[in-house]
Amino acid sequence: MSRGYLYSIVEGFKGLKRAKFSASVSIFTIFLTLILIAVLLIFIFNVNRVVSQIQSRMELEVFIDNSFTQEQIDSLNQQISRIEGVESAHFVSKEEAAAIIEKQLGQDVFEILDENPLPASFQIKLKSSFHSAQKTQTIFDNLLKLDGIDDILYRHDLLALLEKYIHIFLIIMIIIGTLLAFGSIVLVSNTIKLVIFSRRTIIEIMKLVGATKSFISRPFVVEGIVQGIAGGVLASLFFYCLFKIIKLEIPGLILIDQRIYPILLFLGFLFGFVGSMAAIRKFLKY
Amino acid sequence: MIQISNVVAKYPGGEGLDHVNLTVGPGEFAYLVGPSGAGKSSVLKLIYMDIFPLSGFMKVDNLISLNLKKRQIPYLRRRLGIIFQDFKLLTDRNVFENIAFALHVTNAHRRNIKRKVLRVLADVGLSHKRNKRPNQLSGGEQQRVAIGRALVNEPIILLADEATGNLDPESEEEIIQLLEKINATGTAILMATHDNKLVRGKNRKIIRIKDGRTL
Repeated sequence: MSRGYLYSIVEGFKGLKRAKFSASVSIFTIFLTLILIAVLLIFIFNVNRVVSQIQSRMELEVFIDNSFTQEQIDSLNQQISRIEGVESAHFVSKEEAAAIIEKQLGQDVFEILDENPLPASFQIKLKSSFHSAQKTQTIFDNLLKLDGIDDILYRHDLLALLEKYIHIFLIIMIIIGTLLAFGSIVLVSNTIKLVIFSRRTIIEIMKLVGATKSFISRPFVVEGIVQGIAGGVLASLFFYCLFKIIKLEIPGLILIDQRIYPILLFLGFLFGFVGSMAAIRKFLKY
Repeated sequence: MIQISNVVAKYPGGEGLDHVNLTVGPGEFAYLVGPSGAGKSSVLKLIYMDIFPLSGFMKVDNLISLNLKKRQIPYLRRRLGIIFQDFKLLTDRNVFENIAFALHVTNAHRRNIKRKVLRVLADVGLSHKRNKRPNQLSGGEQQRVAIGRALVNEPIILLADEATGNLDPESEEEIIQLLEKINATGTAILMATHDNKLVRGKNRKIIRIKDGRTL
């Protein structure tokens, strides 16, 4: 590392020590904005989790022609299992279907109809990467091409509706997130600008003795980055403690993606870096 | 070495300069004399390229304002020493650190910084006060720190903007003597002052300025 960079890092830390109050204000600002962004990220993560759970429960129920023999059914089972995206096909015989009805209605189907009209079926589970409405429809179309299939049931409308709304939800969240990130950087930048303004004498002297723009800005950028990371660490600690409490009090309510901690640290670093760069620019004009 | 030729310049909050002409040769000691608001500080600002002319040009060492790129300004300023009436010292650092600051800016080696600062401290007579903060020093001593900082990069010229304006007569005399001593080693000096008494009886070049015009 060159002497200049080392000097800038040392000066950056000294600057933090010299301006403890303004540095604390900066760190607190970053901490608050990161909390807002983290709440948004956790909300998105949990909505996605619920949607994924609904999608993963989605099954296709394939009804088999009544005239099909056991041999033909076994062959059909193999054909279904070979279709791309099918994770498993569970066979439900006519008898099992009748038992299910009996369980649901509380009455034996033979007592009402003297025969079992319920067809045998396959309950098909899909691989997680095939949960979208479009991919499910493709599997549906491929199943229809097979011989011996009478009918297929699945909640296409629910899947399509879910996808449509999650799409709108994500767009809104991205807009809010972008506005929040932009607002955060402006806020952080203005706070750092106040810090820099309070030390304009040192900048003026730096200019007079021939400091280059990068030499002048580096200690402030180091300060900004340190403040940003400190804000990120505080926000991470805040959520870590909060999640511990929530987990203890209401288990299973909110799930936390552990990636939130490195994300908060990175965002803190980014806000500190961009904020200080934006703040110092005004003071660098020769 | 320094030439200001027919410069017209305006700057925020000032009347501006009107066809200013001035030269300072190598090793020369010149006074820029004029009343307050005459444009003395603006002339110095032209030299260290803090303001630029609307017409005319400045030549400092080998750099000419007409084709100077902004990124060259810091390197130009390293060849100039500048001192002010209000000293412009860093109050949170001691005397040694204030002088060393000008060398850190040039990425100088740590060992060289120590050697050069100690040399300059001896030159300005403040070796024994190297660990003091500016607020623990008298006005004259503070100005000597500022002179030390200005000298440490071995400038071709020392620009002094009312450098004795805040000092008592005794300290003023000390500073003038120090500047004379510095000039004797070959460093040119251009000292802006409103004080006619300061230049009286001195066999030095005097450039008079009034209402933004050199006379």
